[in-house]
Amino acid sequence: MTQTGTSEEAKRNRWWWYLPCAALIGVACYQIWLTQSAALSPWSGGGFGMFSTTDGWGDRFLQVVALRPGVRRELEIPPALREVTRRVRAFPSEANLRAFAMALVDAPTPDSGPLEAIEIYVWSTNYDPITLAPTPSLLRSLRVPIGED
Amino acid sequence: MAKTDAVTWSPRRMLRWVEGVDGVDLALRLTLLTLLLRQIGTGVVRPLILGLAVLGLLLPNLLCQPSLWIALTVLTGLRVVFDWSVADNHAYLLCYWCFAVSLALMSQGVDRCLSLNGRLLIGWAFAFAAVWKLVLSPDYLDGRFFRVIMLTDTRFADFAQLAGGLSADLLADLRGFVQGQPVESLTPPHEPARFLWLAQGMTIWTVLIEGAVALAFLSPPGWGLSRLRDTLLLCFCLTTYIIVPVEGFG
Repeated sequence: MTQTGTSEEAKRNRWWWYLPCAALIGVACYQIWLTQSAALSPWSGGGFGMFSTTDGWGDRFLQVVALRPGVRRELEIPPALREVTRRVRAFPSEANLRAFAMALVDAPTPDSGPLEAIEIYVWSTNYDPITLAPTPSLLRSLRVPIGED
Repeated sequence: MAKTDAVTWSPRRMLRWVEGVDGVDLALRLTLLTLLLRQIGTGVVRPLILGLAVLGLLLPNLLCQPSLWIALTVLTGLRVVFDWSVADNHAYLLCYWCFAVSLALMSQGVDRCLSLNGRLLIGWAFAFAAVWKLVLSPDYLDGRFFRVIMLTDTRFADFAQLAGGLSADLLADLRGFVQGQPVESLTPPHEPARFLWLAQGMTIWTVLIEGAVALAFLSPPGWGLSRLRDTLLLCFCLTTYIIVPVEGFG
């Protein structure tokens, strides 16, 4: 059995004992800020928003469009990018969207001509309060020019 | 009659054994067991965590070494950092707890530090969960969340049929409708009243029990609801995990 000191000094709680709790509070508050300002999914980020809203990253979906001269082609996202897709859906930050776009630069399409840009749309799903009819809602979009310095 | 040397476990003997268990030792071993039995982390992080957990369980001298727990804090922290935007809440909690153990083992009053952190981590986790449901979520209090999740999350399927009165066909129709699949009939499928009442009841109960757990664990020991904290937490576990076992958070 652990021996505790008998002096008052030994019985005091030390300030550093509160650090784990402080970390929890800090991360959770930061997560709340990111959900409100940067479309982070409430189910992610350590804020304990899981099971409080239907807006989980699994209920979001991506739409990717490749732009060539005179052509807009919606791209199919390769299965190999599943992990990247998951992160983008959870946190559609500009950095994540740009990285995702660059990962799709070589995605094959039947169109000719140079790839000018890739557009990414991140959609969430809203449910009607009465009927639960689902409606897509655009969370974020980004147009990433390809080949520009 | 043959006389045996077997030890008989009377209730009094069992109670004395329970009272004699070192709570710190038990908490540390249970934590290492959790790290061992769950697949924590990816890449090189996972085998390192598994290896340290095994060593901590097998070597009594290592169990209470701060260095072991500092290493586990770093590894569980790396797991969170690498996957921060997709990591579940329990991944964060595990890191905070390993950090708390590290600090406790470097302090006088290991048991007080651990019990303080256990209480505060649970209290604040539930407090934020309650805040999300009460204040921040746009679709929780009107029951939409539980209506949707009971229809779309297969873990709720049995419960939705049994308690919500949905037939398998109606559940499939509603799930398809909510997931945006084309509906054959002119009118969308209709949720029965019993299902709607169930969703609303779960909505209210969850926020009440989470709020109560938060208050109980954040109240100073001996004050108010704090005397009921273990009962309330077990009540939350019973009413939640009997319906859907979210093992990681549990």
